[in-house]
Amino acid sequence: MKEHRLRWHGKYTPWLFLIPTIVGLLVFKLIPIFTAFYLSFTRWNLIGTPEFVGLGNFKEALHSTHFMQTIYNTFGFSILYIIGSMVVGLFLAVLINKKMKGISFFRALIYLPVVTSSVAVGIVWNWILGPNVGLIAKLLLSIGINAPYWLGDTSLALKTVASVQVWKMSGYYMVLFLAGFQAIDYQVIEASVVDGANSFQRFFKVTFPMLGPTTFFVLSVSIIDSFKNFELIYAMTKGGPQNSTNTLVYDVYLNGFQFFRIGYASSLSMVLLLFVGIFTAINFYIKKKWAQPLY
Amino acid sequence: MKKILISFLIATLSLTAIFASGIKETTEIKQDEQITLEWWSWSPEMKEKNQKIINKYESEHPNIIIENTMMSASEYWPKLKIRASQGNLPDVFGMSSSALEEWVEDGLLGNLDEYINNDKTKQEIYTNLLDSTKALAGGNHYYALPFALVTTNLYYNKDMFDLAGLSYPTDNWTWDDFKDAAKALTLDKDGDGAIDQWGFWFYGRYTQIESWVYANDGYLINRDTMRYEPNDNALDALKMLTDLVLVDKVAPPQKDMAAFRQRDIFAHEIAAMSVEGSWNIDNNRNHSDKSMRWGIAKIPLGPSAKVGYIYGWSDSYSMSPNTEYSQEAWDFMKYIAGEGIGMDMYMAGKIPSFKAITESEAFDASAQQPDEMYILKEQAAGAMLTSYTKGWSEWRGYGAAEALGLNGIIDGIVNGEMTFDEAMIEASKDINSVLKRYYR
Repeated sequence: MKEHRLRWHGKYTPWLFLIPTIVGLLVFKLIPIFTAFYLSFTRWNLIGTPEFVGLGNFKEALHSTHFMQTIYNTFGFSILYIIGSMVVGLFLAVLINKKMKGISFFRALIYLPVVTSSVAVGIVWNWILGPNVGLIAKLLLSIGINAPYWLGDTSLALKTVASVQVWKMSGYYMVLFLAGFQAIDYQVIEASVVDGANSFQRFFKVTFPMLGPTTFFVLSVSIIDSFKNFELIYAMTKGGPQNSTNTLVYDVYLNGFQFFRIGYASSLSMVLLLFVGIFTAINFYIKKKWAQPLY
Repeated sequence: MKKILISFLIATLSLTAIFASGIKETTEIKQDEQITLEWWSWSPEMKEKNQKIINKYESEHPNIIIENTMMSASEYWPKLKIRASQGNLPDVFGMSSSALEEWVEDGLLGNLDEYINNDKTKQEIYTNLLDSTKALAGGNHYYALPFALVTTNLYYNKDMFDLAGLSYPTDNWTWDDFKDAAKALTLDKDGDGAIDQWGFWFYGRYTQIESWVYANDGYLINRDTMRYEPNDNALDALKMLTDLVLVDKVAPPQKDMAAFRQRDIFAHEIAAMSVEGSWNIDNNRNHSDKSMRWGIAKIPLGPSAKVGYIYGWSDSYSMSPNTEYSQEAWDFMKYIAGEGIGMDMYMAGKIPSFKAITESEAFDASAQQPDEMYILKEQAAGAMLTSYTKGWSEWRGYGAAEALGLNGIIDGIVNGEMTFDEAMIEASKDINSVLKRYYR
């Protein structure tokens, strides 16, 4: 008698389950990326047929002092953000990595800015940092110090916006570091205590090296996040003063959706994609070489 | 032969009857047909007023449904442009004077000549508004129907003027009169060395700068070359303004006011005078203390003014070139441009283009401030200029780019980031690099 086995899946069934992901990836990521790549070689204002201009958009960007300033701002913002968010995130994680009553409340409190709208954060910080009438200006004035123009001074504005972004996102990195702490084998730390290590030595000689994989993951995420700064810049400075906070992402928005220079905006987005790609590749390389678990 | 003739007549009559009944049938079907017109506009704060207009129009035209989509200007233009790229523009949509030239050149607006030339529109709407929108659209055809005019005005705080013992601004005010008043109104009330009340407030915004340029018969853009080549009168105006901050110390640098919404600085009594578009009447009514007494005046004429131009432009409606219902769309456009609405449907400060509304008692009879609403009517008849060009928002610094362009450069002067001369060189270089792309 022939045996009938119940087969609910065939050779192509896995593809069926992959369809939603593949469609999403194509529609929302790959097709736009390839379209933007094509458009970066054109002049187009959304109307009519894009006109092929070869490398014209890239040449225009390279000859523009405005673009060079934008690149400088983008990297300036990224460096401040990456260092700031990792240091503050790690510091908060160390502070909060304790078993005590009510600690969940503080964890939630620190995480709150992460889920708060960037525009709302920008507006509130604009008030706090406001010259003469802002909270910080008033506090400093009460001890006889004149507050600087946090957002009005070209040498300070980018640092200020990056700091606000660090304040907003540190809670996220804190959670990642917390997860890293909890994955560390506590017996190793106990052994270091038995060996007579003080808390400073314990952290820098034992805990931090064991956080290597987490630290590199946080670094990768923070590098990519550091390029996503549109909303806060829109809410706080709109690229000013004197172009000092205009970053690549903001410039893509301005050229694409304010000036309708779709071709030029696409070429800027390709430059951005290139930067993100290079940093991600470096990260993967470093991770493969050095960021292996120590246990 | 007779039989043939009778047969021919019967056949002719029958055909006539059939066609006649057919035409009648078609007309009836058309009348019964439900038509949906899409109407897009910015100023979401007008939502309730627009709904009132729609309700009234739909009750008067039972076969027409109006679908109104409203959004902020920052969302409106990208979305409208995307609809345009799909060849699927709304039947009727709001059109800004700043975008008119570019949209006409791209063939995105329906030609309104046959409607405007063949009905009473020219008698009903101020001719200079029709002419100015026609000029901005290239000068040969009508592509926009103006529904309102906006101008710029000097706003002044009457309480502060009274306390300082100053008489209110008049049409004869000179720039020196203005500066004297600004000095008298700049006060350190508590004697702590910090100014508590500024005589004047401005920053690099187009409304606050070009108003003075035109009041001195100046221009920023040379229309022959289509390049940024401000004449001496314009440079005098820019120098006079920036000196108010740097030399006369009667206005704060822009960076000092960064914590405030710029339009609220006058409304919140931080400055005694400011210049802004006439739409700011609405903002002042809604955001100032009800006890604050304030008024409007014309921009003081500059020392070189022979004409004394007004900075003013129209807000208009345009029609999709692909609409299936062009007659119905035109009828609706005329209705919302004034034919079917009253003064209560306008945002305060916008001057209706429809003569019957502006010249009605309702225009002056508002119980609310300012008392000088008649000034807007006088301005509507005056000579006007704008600096709109293709790429205007980019070189001027508008919307999301308001900290950049000429706006940012002027802020740079008053914030002490660059000297006036350095700024003028940078402005010329930056602005002309934009204009060269659009006007080769």
